[in-house]
Amino acid sequence: MKTETIHEITPKIQDSSFFTEVRKIAERTNFMDCMQCGVCSGSCPARFAMDFSPMQIIKMIQLGLKNIVLSSSTIWICAQCQTCLTRCPREVNIPLLMSSLKNIAIRENIPCKIELKPKFHKTFSEIIKKYGRMHEPELKIKLIKKTSPQDVFHNATLALRLLRKGKIKLLPPKTDQIPDILVLFETASKEEQK
Amino acid sequence: MKFAYYPGCAVHSSAPEYGLSCKAISSILGIELIEIPKWNCCSSIDAVYANQPLTSIGLAARNLSLAENTKMDIIVLCGACLLTLSRANKMLHEDSELKEKVNMLLTNAGLNYNGSIKVRHYLDVLTNDVGFSKVSEHVKVPLKGLKVAPYYGCLLTRPPGVTNFDDPEHPKSMDKLIEALGGQSIKYEEKCCGASLVLTDELVMMEMTKRSLLSAKNAGADCIIAACPLCQFNLDAKQSDIQSHYDIKIDLPVLYFTQLIGIAFGLSPKELGLDKNCVSPKRLLKQFQNA
Repeated sequence: MKTETIHEITPKIQDSSFFTEVRKIAERTNFMDCMQCGVCSGSCPARFAMDFSPMQIIKMIQLGLKNIVLSSSTIWICAQCQTCLTRCPREVNIPLLMSSLKNIAIRENIPCKIELKPKFHKTFSEIIKKYGRMHEPELKIKLIKKTSPQDVFHNATLALRLLRKGKIKLLPPKTDQIPDILVLFETASKEEQK
Repeated sequence: MKFAYYPGCAVHSSAPEYGLSCKAISSILGIELIEIPKWNCCSSIDAVYANQPLTSIGLAARNLSLAENTKMDIIVLCGACLLTLSRANKMLHEDSELKEKVNMLLTNAGLNYNGSIKVRHYLDVLTNDVGFSKVSEHVKVPLKGLKVAPYYGCLLTRPPGVTNFDDPEHPKSMDKLIEALGGQSIKYEEKCCGASLVLTDELVMMEMTKRSLLSAKNAGADCIIAACPLCQFNLDAKQSDIQSHYDIKIDLPVLYFTQLIGIAFGLSPKELGLDKNCVSPKRLLKQFQNA
């Protein structure tokens, strides 16, 4: 298990507006109610791959440690399994909080330790905007590390395996519902920027 | 009983056997599935949310509204669709300001959502509406001696208060189903498969999925059954990669629960899409094929 240590919390690394910013977009997650019991972190099946535990992330939001929170691997590694929320005695919606933190990190272009993650979310949204439904091969192709021949080869063998089983639809979904999906995306983006 | 059927994107692409087997057993069980016309992606938990939160709720609500027009509850097959649609449904119920905003997004498409429908998983309907005694009435080939590991997946029963059909910590519906089919459900340690990490952090996903596969294998399972196309993909299609990465042998077929029901109902492998599972279930089939 990786554990990072913050040696010193100085006003220099604290951003007092961060708590307010998170509160504004994630109030419904009840993250203010966290009492640091650690049940979430003990239960998390992906904790081994995170640099900070979910409990530490919440504490750091409260302390205003914006950069550490938003550049942590934790917010991207969370697999949204809902175990923490199921067990939290204060009903803190940690998975939704992680999603909101990702949203801030994407908007503010914070460098991400897991290079493919922001791209995953961006490409996913673009595909839905285009077809209304997912087109799996298109998403996968955009997420192949083209600089790594090993990754290209590895994905090619997976693709062959799936093609043989009839599990890859080469053509994208029919697009007869595009107009209203596109309008939904555009109207919502305008509303979100308000 | 009639439902507004929401297959979800995976059933239309990487999980055709789930849709096939579901339709095949539904006609036997008297569950009428009427596909929601022009449904769209549910927005997949936070795949869209992380970019555009309001858009993602709008996408989910569009499906809710289309189903509401048909005056039927939604039936879904995928755990991620289940959580995304029911969570949006709950948010819209609880937050009238959000509902107003989202309805504004839908107006352009001539839609509106009042909040009158429920989102149900197929297993929920099987458990609570059809009932397992009715399921067992249709069993032609009891799965005697078959040890099955039920893989509930994370999102079928969690979090509490959202999907609400089985115990979030100790679900039992699949165990009861396995028994109703004449098989034996086994206890093992089930953990999250890593879901979409398969696309972005493969090593983390393989470590997560490996735990459940090995646990089921060591508990003596003959196969696993899944109720979500994302879980099934990681457990089945990625199983050979996991084997070679860790240099271990697992060789555990992963069926959809609907396929297992179909086998016990005596349906043909073709009707159940059993040729589409990556880890071949041929050995199991030999044991239980009607012919």
